[in-house]
Order: sequence, then structure tokens, then C-alpha cells
Amino acid sequence: MSDVYLASFGLACVLGNDMPSALDALRRGGVPPSPVAVAPGIHWPVYALPPQEGDWTQRVRRTVRSVVAQTGEWGGRTAPLFVASSSLDIGSMELEKQDLRLGGDLQDFADVVAAALDWQGPVFTVSTACTSALNAVLAAADLIRCGEADEALVIGAELDNRFTVAGFGAMQLLAPESAQPFGAGRKGLVLGEAVAALRLGSRPARWCLTGGANVVDGRNPSGTEASAVRAMCHAALAQSGLRPEDVDLIKVQAAGSPVNDAIEAEALKQVFDPLPPLVSLKSSLGHTLGAAGAAELALLVGCIEGGAWPSTGYPLDHTLGIALSTEAPAKLRNILLNVVGFGGGHASLMLRDCSA
Amino acid sequence: MSAGAKTAWRVTAHFVVHPPPADWRDELANRIGRRPRRVGLWTELAMYGARRCLDTVGEAALPQGARLRVASLRGAWGATHAGLEQLDAGLPMPFTFMQSQPALMLAEVGRCLEWQGDASFMLCRDPQRLLQLSKLGAARDGLLFGIVEEERNDELPRSEWWRLVPD
Repeated sequence: MSDVYLASFGLACVLGNDMPSALDALRRGGVPPSPVAVAPGIHWPVYALPPQEGDWTQRVRRTVRSVVAQTGEWGGRTAPLFVASSSLDIGSMELEKQDLRLGGDLQDFADVVAAALDWQGPVFTVSTACTSALNAVLAAADLIRCGEADEALVIGAELDNRFTVAGFGAMQLLAPESAQPFGAGRKGLVLGEAVAALRLGSRPARWCLTGGANVVDGRNPSGTEASAVRAMCHAALAQSGLRPEDVDLIKVQAAGSPVNDAIEAEALKQVFDPLPPLVSLKSSLGHTLGAAGAAELALLVGCIEGGAWPSTGYPLDHTLGIALSTEAPAKLRNILLNVVGFGGGHASLMLRDCSA
Repeated sequence: MSAGAKTAWRVTAHFVVHPPPADWRDELANRIGRRPRRVGLWTELAMYGARRCLDTVGEAALPQGARLRVASLRGAWGATHAGLEQLDAGLPMPFTFMQSQPALMLAEVGRCLEWQGDASFMLCRDPQRLLQLSKLGAARDGLLFGIVEEERNDELPRSEWWRLVPD
């Protein structure tokens, strides 16, 4: 069995179209969300990608090429490609005339991404709502760990569309202004757009993926389930051969939901006693849904390598009994990334800094 | 133990309906003791096939360590189409939006199999490659793999499932 490493990564998000510009924006306090109209008189804030010329598909192609270029030269591009997304190409479909919609299929978006990259290897779609990208990472890691591939590319992509915003709005899950994970005044999540690329491989690098888990629990399809949070953390720890006290930082899900944030905090306290430092990225990125696992992993590693750190900028809910770290912990070797999603999906990934 | 590329697998159950019988929704409701609420036709079709597949092999519940993998080219076609029409009309669409999401299908299938575990919706133009990927790293409890297609125009609905375990 081979170890699996994160060799390089790329990111385009509300903060900027590459990691240096994203970290600069983060140091300046971030970029606010923009209003997106879903119906006459109904707007919701979204942490949108910087504006671009061209139609929807042209913007996808350009953004994907730019983000994957940040991961380095790929040569023949024959590695497995995983395209993780919740909304796929619904943003293109909603602009089509009604009788021209939905003539294609759910692999079309991945085909567009692959064609934009002139990708020659096998192409997979992973769509499990907010856990899509982490599930793609886990699947890619299986291929590498079992010796079926030396490298794999995971792309998490969530592009502009009104369908998703309207859907989350209709379910009364959105906040009217800004995302406040674990905040005293949190009122829901704020969606975000992002494209992130993760280059995984068997060749040793600084960041090693030591374990992970995906736990779906259908009892509460729109919410966090405490037993599933505990199960995913325990499974990721076991696969990594770690104890709770070995974890130096947890990147939490915390999307700003009044109920789900509290369930997550309580479940984490049941696994980790005491809690290690926590970091949340959704007040900087928004909830980038299917891209979240890749976008938040890329931004977190970018922050650690680049010496930047997200600021909170709002009062936390002291009743949760948690704090968010204001800087990178001095001791930082094992990092747990958690993503919880719509549909009862709960996914974890354990990352080890081999240089620490 | 987790399965590697050279692990041998055997199919313990295979269930297919293409199309399903006329009374399949009643059959599902009778089998699980409730009529699914607020889920779309695609999700119900997945629940029906998955439940019947496990029944074929006499498994009351999917073992906790098993994986669940579902693929579909058309997905929740009807709900997505309806949701886009509602969006055009400026109507709220909480249930049609939920029904359009593959993740909700996974949640409901897991629920009707009395199961909490590793479920994923994945797709590849080459189904064999997808099946091979699904096996890699799977635990001894194996895999429940399904292909579920909703009716679209002249294309018939299909729910086909395999229960596989490593030897």
C-alpha cells in the first residue's frame, strides 16, 4: 500500500483567482459577499468569484485551466481526474430555453472540465452535495494507495447559478447578510463559488493524507447528526493510527447554522477532550458546497504555508464553549478537516505535516 | 482488511427492473412499512431496487462496514426539470430542489436499509471502471452498487443493483 500525498494545489474563490491573491485578500480582512437575485425582490448574499468575461461555459473552462495550472505541469494528462460538484452545470442549464434543458446527462460537466484541460485519463464525477470534494479525495486516495495510479487530480467546482441559491433560500437555510460560523448572531449559511484543484500522488511531499471517512446518516437529511460526526472523527483517527490528543487542529464544518453548528460543537467535544484549536474558513469563502472539501483544504494549507490566517470579525456564541484560533497553532502536525453536508453526508480527512 | 486491486469478489445478489412493475411503489411502501414522503421518483426507484436486492440475499439491513455506491446518467431528471421551471416562474421550490439532489437519494436509500455508512454518488462513462474504483479500499462487508435511471421521454426507468463481497 502506498502513502498518499498532497503534491500541490490551486484555488479560485471570492478572495482571488490564485493562492497569493487569496492570501493577500485574507490578510486585508476578506471580501464581502455580493447579492444574487433569485426572483423579483428576493436576493441572497453569495461569496462570488471575481467577475469574468464570456458565457457560463467559457468562464468554467478559463477558471479550471487557471486553477489546474497552479498545480504544475502534468505532462500527458493521463492520470485519473475527479470532478466534484453539487450543482454541476445547472448554471448553464438555467440559461437555456426550457425544451433544450436536460437533454444531456450528469457526466456532461466533467466532460466540459476534462475537455478544457485536454485531459486523456479516466474522468469521474462525484456529487454528494457538500461532501463531494472530500469524497473525491477519498476515492482518488484509494486508487493511489492500492497502486492503481501514481497521481490523481481532484477538482472541486461550484460555479454561479441561481437554482442552488433559490433552493437553499426556499429551505430557509441562508443568512441574509454574512456567514458567522459559531457566531452569537449566526442566522444560516452563505453560499460561495469556488474552483479548487488538488494534485495527489504517491511521491513523498510535505502533506500526507493519512486517513479519512465518509459517513452518511439519513435520519436528518438537512442537518448535522451528532453520531455521524463522532463516527467520522473516530474512523479518520483509526485509519490514521492516531488518538484524539494527537490532533493539533480541526478545520470545522461550521457553516453558521443556528442548530447544526451547536450539534457539531457538542459532538466534537465528545470525541476530543480537551478540544484542539479550531479553525473555520466559511466566513472567508462562504459555503462552497461540493467544492468545499477541496477549496477549504487548499486555503488552509495555503494559509499555513503562506503565514496568513482567517480572522473571525464577529462575536462567537459563548454558550457553545468553543473558540476559533486567531493564528496557526505553534505545534501543527496532524490536522483534521471535517465537512458536513446536505443529505446527511459527513466526511473527514486527516492530514499530516511531514515537515513538522 | 480492505480490498486491493487483486482482491477477488463475488456477486451475492443481483436485482434488476427495466422497467419496474406497475405496482412497484406500493410494493416498496409495503416492504418498508411506510410510504416515502417528500422524496422524488428517482429516489423511490433507488430505494426499491436497493431494498429488493438485499432481500434477494436475505439481508435485513446493509452491514455497517459495507459501501453504497450509486450511479446514474439522468439522475433526478424530473425534479430538476420541475425545479428549473419553478425557478423561471419565481416560485419557491424547497421540495423539488431537495428531490433534485443525489445526496438526498443516498440518505433515503441508507435509511431504508437501516444503515449509516460510506455512501457516494459517482459516475464515469465506463461503468466497469467505476465498479473497480468502488471496490478499492472497501472493507470485508463489501459493496452495494446500483445504477438507477428515471424515465425520460422514450427511455424506460431502470433500477439495477449488485451486492458484492470480497472473497
